[in-house]
Amino acid sequence: MKISDEILISVEKPSRYTGNEWNQVNKDLSGINIRFAFCFPDVYEVGMSHLGMRILYHLINERDDTYCERVFAPWVDMEQRMRENGIPLFALESKDSIKDFDFIGFTLQYEMSYTNILNMLDLAGVPIRSSDRTAGHPFVCAGGPCAYNPEPLADIIDFFVLGEGEEVINEVLDEYMKWKSSGSSREAFLDNISRIEGVYVPRFYKTEYNQDGTIAAIKPKDDRYPGKIRKRIIKDLNKVFYPEKIIVPFTDIVHDRIMLELFRGCIRGCRFCQAGFIYRPVREKSAERLRGLAEKLVESTGYEEISLTSLSTSDYTQLQELTESLIDDMRRKKVNLSLPSLRVDSFSLELMEKAQEVRKSGLTFAPEAGTQRLRNVINKGVTEEDLLNSVSIAFEGGWSGVKLYFMIGLPTETYDDIDGIADLGNKVVKAYMDTPKEKRGKGLRVTISTSSFVPKPFTPFQWEAQDTIEVLREKQKYLNSKIRSKYITYNWHDPELSFLEAVFARGDRKTGEVLIKAWEKGCKFDSWGEHFKFKEWLDAFDECGIDPAFYANRKRAMDEVFPWEHIDIGVSRKFLERENKRAYKGELTPNCRINCSGCGAAAFGESLCKT
Amino acid sequence: MGKIRFKFIRGEQVKYISHLDMMKTFERAIRRANIPVKYSQGFNPHPQLVFGLPLSVGVTSEAEYADIEIDGELAPSVFLQQLNTQLPEGLKVTDAKESRAKSNIMASVAFASYDIFIKTGLDALELQEKLDEFMKSESVVVKKESKSKVRDVDIKPMIHRLELTNYEKGKSTVCISAFLSAGSSANLKPELLFSALKEKSMPDIRLAGIHRTGLFISGKGKMVDPLDPDVLKG
Repeated sequence: MKISDEILISVEKPSRYTGNEWNQVNKDLSGINIRFAFCFPDVYEVGMSHLGMRILYHLINERDDTYCERVFAPWVDMEQRMRENGIPLFALESKDSIKDFDFIGFTLQYEMSYTNILNMLDLAGVPIRSSDRTAGHPFVCAGGPCAYNPEPLADIIDFFVLGEGEEVINEVLDEYMKWKSSGSSREAFLDNISRIEGVYVPRFYKTEYNQDGTIAAIKPKDDRYPGKIRKRIIKDLNKVFYPEKIIVPFTDIVHDRIMLELFRGCIRGCRFCQAGFIYRPVREKSAERLRGLAEKLVESTGYEEISLTSLSTSDYTQLQELTESLIDDMRRKKVNLSLPSLRVDSFSLELMEKAQEVRKSGLTFAPEAGTQRLRNVINKGVTEEDLLNSVSIAFEGGWSGVKLYFMIGLPTETYDDIDGIADLGNKVVKAYMDTPKEKRGKGLRVTISTSSFVPKPFTPFQWEAQDTIEVLREKQKYLNSKIRSKYITYNWHDPELSFLEAVFARGDRKTGEVLIKAWEKGCKFDSWGEHFKFKEWLDAFDECGIDPAFYANRKRAMDEVFPWEHIDIGVSRKFLERENKRAYKGELTPNCRINCSGCGAAAFGESLCKT
Repeated sequence: MGKIRFKFIRGEQVKYISHLDMMKTFERAIRRANIPVKYSQGFNPHPQLVFGLPLSVGVTSEAEYADIEIDGELAPSVFLQQLNTQLPEGLKVTDAKESRAKSNIMASVAFASYDIFIKTGLDALELQEKLDEFMKSESVVVKKESKSKVRDVDIKPMIHRLELTNYEKGKSTVCISAFLSAGSSANLKPELLFSALKEKSMPDIRLAGIHRTGLFISGKGKMVDPLDPDVLKG
């Protein structure tokens, strides 16, 4: 299929749809048995910035029998032209309609991309409901962090892949090759792969509800399906596949650089943070391996920047060794090194200055809460002193722009905690004023951003209620009135969006109907402010007879059965319960390196936890 | 060593890349090809690479030019061959020469030639008449949008030649070749010329594509090829 010039020239950023980038994988279709459409339910610039997609794209394409191609959500202008001209959703490499592919795989990075999944399936001409798909339709699968509560999408997705995909995806494709030549039914394939650890086929499970709408039980429909589906992890990150070539987009994407993944998991255990639990246990790559990858990736891409990406980069045990050698290696090639997500408490001026030798970047701190009391509740073991020390050092080093991230609506929060946010902002301003004029940079800019707390599955706060939209708005207004310094800018998140996120983060199977209804009413690109239609969402809930507050704003009983009860991430429910109680007592839990708190992730192999 | 001036093609596959992205694409290809390019000083070093005249999104070209500063020694023929192994499909360096030109390519561009493909119901005779008429007019005033304002511009002095070069009977797409002022002192984009033709002379035409066929600099009162030996001698 060729997309006409007339269409391409009429849309914004046409190079989103033309492919042909450096390192794109091109294959001769005659030798291909499996065609895989790897879909990211957002625009090109967002999807291409996602590391997981970049890894899996090249991993799947290592197979001679399979061609994996990329698919992104066309922006609204392109979608309109496609619908007017009868152009179905196509893969970027071949421009072929994905309707005839063997697999359509979605990565689930945030709840508010779910309507885009429905829209993309529809645009592809594939039935939205799993039960409406028949022989000849592709299998629709999904993975990624949101797959840990798969239930809102249970009627849409044929199967989910839980955890890290590098091994399990190949096992699924091997099964598919066997099945394809066997001529058995669609259902038979799903039955076969339900035996692969990490694969969840929702149609083989049923949910029983209590009178009050809570869940009584989630059970397999037959004994041959596992009662608990356990996530997959890669045990040795030094041996696992990592692409040595990655696609170099023509157009600016959100993270337009080489991403080096230092480790998976996080030793910290901040109690609101889902990533801190679902990716356990911590596993590192060696500095040597990373240095080798960096060299090859620079050679194959020509990128001018490398970023070290992980949940908490400064916890990498060989960080100093790695950064020093990378800076040395890269200086010759004029490649910059960027260090995101450094923690306040281990902020190292030395490190930042070294990175700065090549290029200067902005500074971000995430104290998350305004008072020590609340920071203890969320297990963010950072003190005000830590923060102000780090900030002062940075100001002395010539930095003058600081971003501070906070959350509002955290459990046990009072207005004192919100005052604390404004106070902290003022103290940062004071730290700048106290820095000698000849040392500090010009033009102080302090940005305070607040997101709204969204209780997530598999966290110690999974039982908690989210503040109502009204309360969140009230708190934002209050904070805004407290921030008076002309040096401080305050940004906040739309509480209506956070509310919907909370509904679908902990939604059950029933909420899937709301997704479909909302999409039918035109909801898509919900996380893009200008396309967010909150009224349509509320109407959708109403028409489905579902009260969103039941999911977002209700505190759960300690023994309530969750929609994700049949999913096993390795971290035990008992541990999360213990952490919840400690939160209310304001007790800190030390990080994994100081002391093992017995979360359960050691079950994947105890040695993993000891690195 | 000094500079290399090179000529390249921008084909169908890459015609939707913006000018800025095109520069980045070359910078990355140059790094992949291990070409010893000179970098600017400062916090944010950039390779010393200057392009002739930006192309609009959607326009192809067989005559793009750029100047690159080399740090050390590199034969232009080696440069051409190495860079071509690292360029994405649709981009190809076709010529490269050592340059001692007095001013860089961006500053010296003066004219550009284009093939403008249009769809029309008019036949050859009618088209030729319309074009002749258009060229005979004293002035062609059109609205030109810049950053914040719209102003009236007479584009007539910037049109040096306009002719029907390709007309196949029974085919609805025809080609008009245009020779226009280009560069920093006077610049007429082919899109603007098309709009003027449509507005003033042939309301039925539709744009089917634009292709840049040449880029020229002025030397001693006449136009010359940017790779002309006399120009490169400096």
